Amino acid sequence: MKRPSILLRSLVIVYVGALLALPLGFVFQQALSHGWGQFWIALHDHAMDLAIILSLKVVVLAVPLNVLFGVGVSMWIVRHPSPLSRFIDVIIDIPLAISPIIVGLILELAYAQNGWFGSAFAAAGLRIMFSYPAIVLASVFVSLPLVSRQVIPLLREVGDHQEQTAATLGAKPSRIFFTITMRSIAWAAAYGVTLTLARVLGEYGAVLIVSGNIALITQTLTLNIGANFESFNAYQGFVGALLLALVSVIVLVFIGVARHRLERKRHVSFV
Amino acid sequence: MSVSYSGVTKSFGGRLVLDDISDIVNEGELTALLGPSGSGKSTLLRIIAGLTPLDSGRVSLAGRDVTNTPARDRHIGFCFQDYAPFRHLSLRENVAYGLKVQHVARAQRREQVDELLRLVRLEEFADQYPHQLSGGQRQRMALARALAIKPDVLLLDEPFAALDAQVRAELRSWVRTLQQEVGITTILVTHDQVEAMEIADRLVILNSGRIEQAGRPSFVYDHPATDFVASFLGPITSIGGISYRPHELEIVSLGDGAESATVSEVIRLGFEVRVVLAGDDGTSTWVQLTHDQAKHLNPGVGQRYGIRVRSSKASKDAPLSSNVDAPR
Repeated sequence: MKRPSILLRSLVIVYVGALLALPLGFVFQQALSHGWGQFWIALHDHAMDLAIILSLKVVVLAVPLNVLFGVGVSMWIVRHPSPLSRFIDVIIDIPLAISPIIVGLILELAYAQNGWFGSAFAAAGLRIMFSYPAIVLASVFVSLPLVSRQVIPLLREVGDHQEQTAATLGAKPSRIFFTITMRSIAWAAAYGVTLTLARVLGEYGAVLIVSGNIALITQTLTLNIGANFESFNAYQGFVGALLLALVSVIVLVFIGVARHRLERKRHVSFV
Repeated sequence: MSVSYSGVTKSFGGRLVLDDISDIVNEGELTALLGPSGSGKSTLLRIIAGLTPLDSGRVSLAGRDVTNTPARDRHIGFCFQDYAPFRHLSLRENVAYGLKVQHVARAQRREQVDELLRLVRLEEFADQYPHQLSGGQRQRMALARALAIKPDVLLLDEPFAALDAQVRAELRSWVRTLQQEVGITTILVTHDQVEAMEIADRLVILNSGRIEQAGRPSFVYDHPATDFVASFLGPITSIGGISYRPHELEIVSLGDGAESATVSEVIRLGFEVRVVLAGDDGTSTWVQLTHDQAKHLNPGVGQRYGIRVRSSKASKDAPLSSNVDAPR
């Protein structure tokens, strides 16, 4: 194979460097610019810590919800095709196609106190908007297709012969799902989980609108970083950004591993 | 255990795939469902297994109606054409799957799996994974896995189609031996008439969702009930509007009370030699000669001969059937 020219290689390095490495390095440099002592103090900022806890609470609910929905809808679309499931298959990508701000506005329209469903919840004494449930709703919405888009092609490729063989061997549907189906799609689902995790942690626009961005109460880590920059507390913002960047790096490594495993699985021939 | 089905009808999206099919498979027999692709044979097999619901009709195992019984309770061994190995499980775990479902104790399970692996001659591959095995080995694994639950009936969907010719021939006779050893009622789907005739006790020939004929392979070959069966089971040719197998005809010197014809083509295929002749009425007939017969006669293009039915055939049997087309 011909080696790429020095010019091409330098171009790629400069491009990636300018876009990715330099800004990321800048975040690290800024966050540590006042020394470790200041950094340690900044880590214990009350508003930021509450924001981290809220972000984690959102992840803990939104990611499993998305996995359940993603795997379930994939099984439905692939194993029990119908006009309705084909329709869902098409519209499931909408959250990726529309701007998060619009997602936020749609949710507000629907769940506000005087909104379509919001009034019903309000009558039951439940407040959805500007609270934890709204943030989870927005997070699930924007990451809706991330699991199923990974799982659907693999389910199609694996086919249903293994599942049907297990049935003739006497296995019940639940056993078939956990011993055969889940084993086939585990790495695809894991890849979807890491994508969801990254998206949920990083979501800004939709969450900004539905949460109300109330410091100490409905502010996620991403919102907290934004708020710090806006209130000229850039240093605190960089510390938050550093934490988020570190999580992203860890998630990226995970994605790399999952994708590698997935590709190896796909290279294994069927017959 | 015997298998019977009656009035089985199935359509997919308005297309009739099986049209009121009925048959009985006797205990211990190996039946081949033979037909071209799209004849409905695989669908019928899946219906017997309970993997595809039927529109109307009944399926019974040993007289017990299982029409509404789910696949997992039918106690049937089913092998797919692609063998459907559980890819994340070792060979041993694949074979053990059905026993695990039945909660067979670990020690007993191991013993039974070892015995099955010996039966299919895969002991030394016990801890390998499906992708490390050849097609033939995967097929034997699928058989062992199906036999593990001691099924009442074994259903095989195109079991040899994905194998190369040599492995196919080996496995075919091996499966036949195994089936007789285990003594299990078996239904096998195939589109290969040579395979069906070699392996089966009984043929069921399907075409466009209907059974054309059922019976012993040699009987069906010699006495095809329909034109379709005659042409599907082997080559046919016609002389004077009557159909024959090409080896039932012979060419002789002009006269002798035979139809006269002119040689238009001689095709030598090793042991057999095909001589294509144009009759005086314009019809084309072909005669199959052995290598020695051809050497003796030495027919050449443009030479004129008489065609007649071999005396052994003419005295014993009636012709196949009338009004059948020239060879395909």
